[in-house]
Amino acid sequence: MAGLTIGFLRRACETERTEHEVSPMPTLTINGQRVVAPEGATILEAARAAGIAIPTLCHHPDLSNVGACRMCVVTVEKARGLQTACTTPVAEGMVVHTHSADAVATRRFVLEMLLSDHPNACMTCEVNGACELQDLVYEYGVAWPQHKGSRHTYPVDPDPNPFIVIDRNKCILCGRCVRACAEIQNRDIWSFAFRGFETKLVAGADQPLLEAGCESCGQCVAYCPTGALFDRMSVGKGRIGQVTRVRTVCSYCGVGCQIDLHVRRDGGRGRIVRVTGAADAPVNGLALCVKGRYGYDYVHSPERLTRPLVRAKWLDPDELAQRVGDNRWSVIGDADKRRSPVTGHDSPISPDTFIAVDWDTALDVVARKLAAEKAAHGGDSFAMLASAKCTNEENFLFAKFARQLMTTNNIDHCARL
Amino acid sequence: MNRLKPIAVAAEALRAVTDPQHRWIAVCMGTGCSSAASAELRQALAAELAQHQQGVEVRRTGCFGFCAQGPIVVVYPDETFYTRVRPEDAAAIVVQHIVHGRPVEALLFREGPDKHPAPKWHDISFYRKQQRILLSNCGIIDPENIQHYLAREGYQALVKALDTMTPEQVIEEVTRSGLRGRGGGGFPAGVKWGLARQTPRWPKYVICNADEGDPGAFMDRSVLEGDPHSVIEGMIIAGYAIGAEQGFIYCRAEYPLAIKRLRTAIAQARELGLLGENILGSGFRFDITINEGAGAFVCGEETALMASIQGERGQPWPRPPYPVVAGLWGQPSNVNNVKTYAYVPRILRFGADWFRSLGTEGSAGTAVFALTGQVERTGLIEVPMGITLREIIFDIGGGIPGGKRFKAVQTGGPLGGCLPEAYLDTPVDFDSLRAAGAVMGSGGMIVADETTCMVEFARYFMRFVCDESCGKCPPCRIGSRRLLEILDRIAAGQGEPADIEAIHHLADGMQKGSLCALGQLAPAPVLSALRHFEEEFWAHIREQRCPTASCQKLVRAPCVSACPAGVDVPAYLALVAQGRYAEALAVHREANPFAAICGRVCPAFCEDVCKRGGVDDPIAIRHVKRFMADHEYTVPWTPPRLAPKKDIKVAIVGAGPCGLTAALRLAQLGYQVTVFERMPQPGGMMTYGIPAYRLPREVLFAEIEHIRRAGVEIRCNTELGRDITIKSLQADGYAAIVLALGAHRSRRLGVPGEDLPGVYHGVALLRDIALGKLPDLRGQVVVVVGGGDTAMDAARSAWRLGAQAVHVVYRRTRDEMPAIPEEVRGAEDEGVQFHFLVTPVAVLGQDRVTGVLLQRQRLGDFDKSGRRSPVPIPGSEFVMPCDLLVPAIGQVTWVDDEAVALSRQASFRVGKAFELGIPGVFAAGDAVTGPATVVQAVAHGNQVALVVDHWLKTGELGGVYYRPKRHDIPQLFNLDDYAEARRPAPRVLSPEERRHLPGFVEIELGYDERTIQEECKRCLRCDLEWLQRIGEPLP
Ligand code: SF4
Ligand code: SF4
Ligand code: SF4
Ligand code: FES
Repeated sequence: MAGLTIGFLRRACETERTEHEVSPMPTLTINGQRVVAPEGATILEAARAAGIAIPTLCHHPDLSNVGACRMCVVTVEKARGLQTACTTPVAEGMVVHTHSADAVATRRFVLEMLLSDHPNACMTCEVNGACELQDLVYEYGVAWPQHKGSRHTYPVDPDPNPFIVIDRNKCILCGRCVRACAEIQNRDIWSFAFRGFETKLVAGADQPLLEAGCESCGQCVAYCPTGALFDRMSVGKGRIGQVTRVRTVCSYCGVGCQIDLHVRRDGGRGRIVRVTGAADAPVNGLALCVKGRYGYDYVHSPERLTRPLVRAKWLDPDELAQRVGDNRWSVIGDADKRRSPVTGHDSPISPDTFIAVDWDTALDVVARKLAAEKAAHGGDSFAMLASAKCTNEENFLFAKFARQLMTTNNIDHCARL
Repeated sequence: MNRLKPIAVAAEALRAVTDPQHRWIAVCMGTGCSSAASAELRQALAAELAQHQQGVEVRRTGCFGFCAQGPIVVVYPDETFYTRVRPEDAAAIVVQHIVHGRPVEALLFREGPDKHPAPKWHDISFYRKQQRILLSNCGIIDPENIQHYLAREGYQALVKALDTMTPEQVIEEVTRSGLRGRGGGGFPAGVKWGLARQTPRWPKYVICNADEGDPGAFMDRSVLEGDPHSVIEGMIIAGYAIGAEQGFIYCRAEYPLAIKRLRTAIAQARELGLLGENILGSGFRFDITINEGAGAFVCGEETALMASIQGERGQPWPRPPYPVVAGLWGQPSNVNNVKTYAYVPRILRFGADWFRSLGTEGSAGTAVFALTGQVERTGLIEVPMGITLREIIFDIGGGIPGGKRFKAVQTGGPLGGCLPEAYLDTPVDFDSLRAAGAVMGSGGMIVADETTCMVEFARYFMRFVCDESCGKCPPCRIGSRRLLEILDRIAAGQGEPADIEAIHHLADGMQKGSLCALGQLAPAPVLSALRHFEEEFWAHIREQRCPTASCQKLVRAPCVSACPAGVDVPAYLALVAQGRYAEALAVHREANPFAAICGRVCPAFCEDVCKRGGVDDPIAIRHVKRFMADHEYTVPWTPPRLAPKKDIKVAIVGAGPCGLTAALRLAQLGYQVTVFERMPQPGGMMTYGIPAYRLPREVLFAEIEHIRRAGVEIRCNTELGRDITIKSLQADGYAAIVLALGAHRSRRLGVPGEDLPGVYHGVALLRDIALGKLPDLRGQVVVVVGGGDTAMDAARSAWRLGAQAVHVVYRRTRDEMPAIPEEVRGAEDEGVQFHFLVTPVAVLGQDRVTGVLLQRQRLGDFDKSGRRSPVPIPGSEFVMPCDLLVPAIGQVTWVDDEAVALSRQASFRVGKAFELGIPGVFAAGDAVTGPATVVQAVAHGNQVALVVDHWLKTGELGGVYYRPKRHDIPQLFNLDDYAEARRPAPRVLSPEERRHLPGFVEIELGYDERTIQEECKRCLRCDLEWLQRIGEPLP
């Protein structure tokens, strides 16, 4: 899934180098602890595998390493200056101190710098409580800087993308979105423009996302450590402490991405306010497609089909009159389908009026009509389109149904289109 | 090894570049000279030659390095060096020089005090200390003709490598040569090549870093333009050595000429089979591509450069892995600077030992610098490593123009550091410069003179870094902006004491945290400026004063900035212009109570920098001051009390200008002040050092009287250590004690015989005169030793006491004399004879002085004071007979009190708040600074008074600054009417009048009211301009 970026190439080369080295598993010392790591691993990977924490911002295990944020700096004995743990490959006999005075001071400095150009907006920020920057500032006890220096004042939400809200003032230029889009989604929409303090995250040639070719998959949002990128549909709907995560499988297709529904319960009824990929899911990790991530609004849609509907003309008129009479079936008004079902004897029923019926009745109607068509025009008058949303077993059954019962090979699947 | 195909060198080319008799004309076609129309010049020369049927070749060559003097034309074989040649001059060169064999005098380069023309280029001092190895082809060959390069044994190193050496042997040779990377890092080139060779992956790449981005630097450009094949040859050899088949030259697109020449050179090399498949039949294949950079400074960083070649945003990657392991497209890549590659063919041709023999132990070879800034001769130079900064700046660069003093030199470009005078003898090589706190860099060298503000200097480089930071990592991206913001604030007078701390904090964070060298080194210029010129930063922050008057927002008027006491000059000039003398004097007294005195004896720092001086002559500020003070000083003045009277006693020891000013200010602040003075009269050096012919006694005592009127008690004949002690003063309830003891003790000559009778120190002579003990010097021969004001005063006093002859001997020349020039002129007018470059080595005589043995000196190198130091000429001794020898070579402070004894130092060492380490005891004035001027002592007095007041109130030391108020006085006339007005000529008594007037009559005459008022109206009112600049309303 990786795009061809430098980081990936270089990592690949590093691994390639392994073949020529003598020791396949270098042993190093981190904070006095002996750690064995595979050749080509970074200090960060080695440390984390050994349960030693090193803070990071621009690093993400799913993405290539660029060494931009400088949070992961560590002291490596005999090396000149501090080294970034996320990019420095381990070597035999290396002695690493993850919390040397210099390393800690540098991290504090980095945080201080980032805060000096950050809006003091945690109070209203969507990711309050789920922000990597906030966590590190808390951990390192960095105070809000009282300086007279300049801060960026980019417009908030300047992009018309229907799913993604951008607030560049909160962007720390870690580049995770850039790499997520390039390496996971292979779209390469994001990049940095301008230099120095004016460096700015831009889509395409500083265009609106959609114009730049964005698919609105939201991968960039998922990897953003701060509130700079956020899911538009979830704005104001509830922050991390106000939701319960419910793990489920996306229902859109057969890939089986695992998702976390962020459910907010105020009083009894729960509402899905956001969907995120499940980092630990073997299939997808944090990645999702636009449907899985943002196509959840149907769940609470009043238009959603919850009972089978059959047009009045396909039903037996007597049964219709009787069942509607005793309220077992109900008449769905044509006029305004958004409104709740309208019931009542006096409502005029036209041949095309939808009647909410029981499942047996509905399936009977279908079976009857299929059999009649087959008898009248032969099996090939029938074609079937199956769905990627179905499981293999269901699709197998569909094939069997078409070929054996309907005696036709006219069956296809939406994924082929 | 298979035998290589020989390269044919055209006979014509051989003759053209190797025949010492060959007659041809070189026209520099480097970027510098080209932009000064050297192409037209070349055509004009060719046309003239054709017209005169002279079969002389006109050849385009690379840069001579002396671009400021361009276009350069050299006529060979005699090497006649013409500068600033215009196309119109072609006729003269052809007719006079080529046809008639007479060099064109007018076009020769002239230098030195006598402006002597230098006919040959190696005679010019700009070239004399240079050693042109890398630039040896520049100015000789036609860079667009490969035959010329071949004729200079070009590509012979490649033949040698391919034919007789294994790649390992090539690497070994380069390693042994000690060649270090010329891009700035100084990493051994051979070692790097070895690492690249060892990495067992393929393909590998050879990359040439030609992204020269330092402001003002053009070393690489000159090599590429003047000798492109040397770089190409070096790259092919590197390719052979590390096992690469592809080379890239990453060159900034702003170098179109270099790119064009490279393209031509590559095409020609391909044609001859020197690039491409099967080079010279060796089986080795190598080719080169040119990549044009878009002008980002950071792309000079090797990983950013490779990212850029890959078509990505030019941002660095972290190392390790290093490029030799994983570089371009993840492949092993060897990145070197242009110059590094260009050295390689020379090293292979002449051997590693030859290269080692040049330069120093740790830094072999030569260094190429672009010498720029405030230096007489700017340009591109190549010097052996180990040459000193002083040799480069003064011998090659010709020193500082306009008689200014050297202040600092920045090496290493915007990521380097600056070094002050004290470091001028630092050898220029990688390690020495780094040890001194600067770096070699890729070869920029910027010289700053004394008019350069170091805050501004640092700010310039920081602004550059801010613009060029790639933005990838927060320490550099945000840190550099914060640093710039602080420097901007300091330069605007809005700095705070905490800012210095903040600079260190930001610098430290950037150095430790930044990803690449740009961010790590970016704070170096600020830090080095701060290290060497911290006081200048403090002046901006605390006093809101820019000592060099450069920071636009701080400089109300240059004169105000230059005045040590910060007197509001334009305000009192404006008031005097309107006849409001009392108000004018009041303005002056807020900063300096001694207007009448300073109106006579001040060196007038203000006039040196007066803007009007740039138009015609500076305003006669001192005379205006004298006039307004004289107009008023007899009116008794009671200084206003500024705070309620307090019951706190303060003692001032020493009634000189510093002590009296401090006393006045403290009295104005309500303290009970007593001044203790050891001499019978107050005034210190004003009374006992400055003769009455310069400063009449009635003027002096009238101004001291004002101080008494403020409530200050002056107790004379009371000496510290004899009549009073620090202890006794403290016991008497003095809450604070200020030692303003001055510097009275004359320095000894340190030669035999100086204790003989007849040795009469200048200070003692002047003091005795002031005490009325006038020695009778009639008929005597007096020799004064020294070049300062005391020496002048002593010499002129001796003349007044009837001496038959007065001689002044000084060990340097007139230019180096510290005395006020007017005093020197005055002495000369009075017949005092000066002997420069001589110094006494013995005082002669049995029981009385009969003469002095003098030794001649010559000026040697520049010393720490920025003056050339005298060097004795052995065997040049001679005797000067005399009756009286007057040493006046400086004074030191002296005190005999156990609490504050000065052991060996010449002056007190005090903290930032003048504190001496004993609570409540402070020192200021000459006793701290060494002998200085009245106005400097006054400035100290103002300041120490404020410090003492603050300490008495809060117990804190420092943090307060004496800042005289600003007065915005309207301009009531049209300045244009005074555009033509000139400064009045000085009025002094003639020497005849002086001799015939009895005693020490004042010799300088003032001006009349009208003249003075007119003079004031010449003032350009820089202060009003400033008001507009900072956006405040005009009065
Ligand atoms: S939404 Fe997806 S395609 Fe669009 S920019 Fe983000 S990661 Fe790239
Ligand atoms: S938007 Fe988020 S992920 Fe992208 S660079 Fe900014 S902080 Fe990093
Ligand atoms: S012109 Fe006037 S204000 Fe300007 S420097 Fe001269 S005296 Fe000062
Ligand atoms: S996590 Fe290593 S530099 Fe950002």
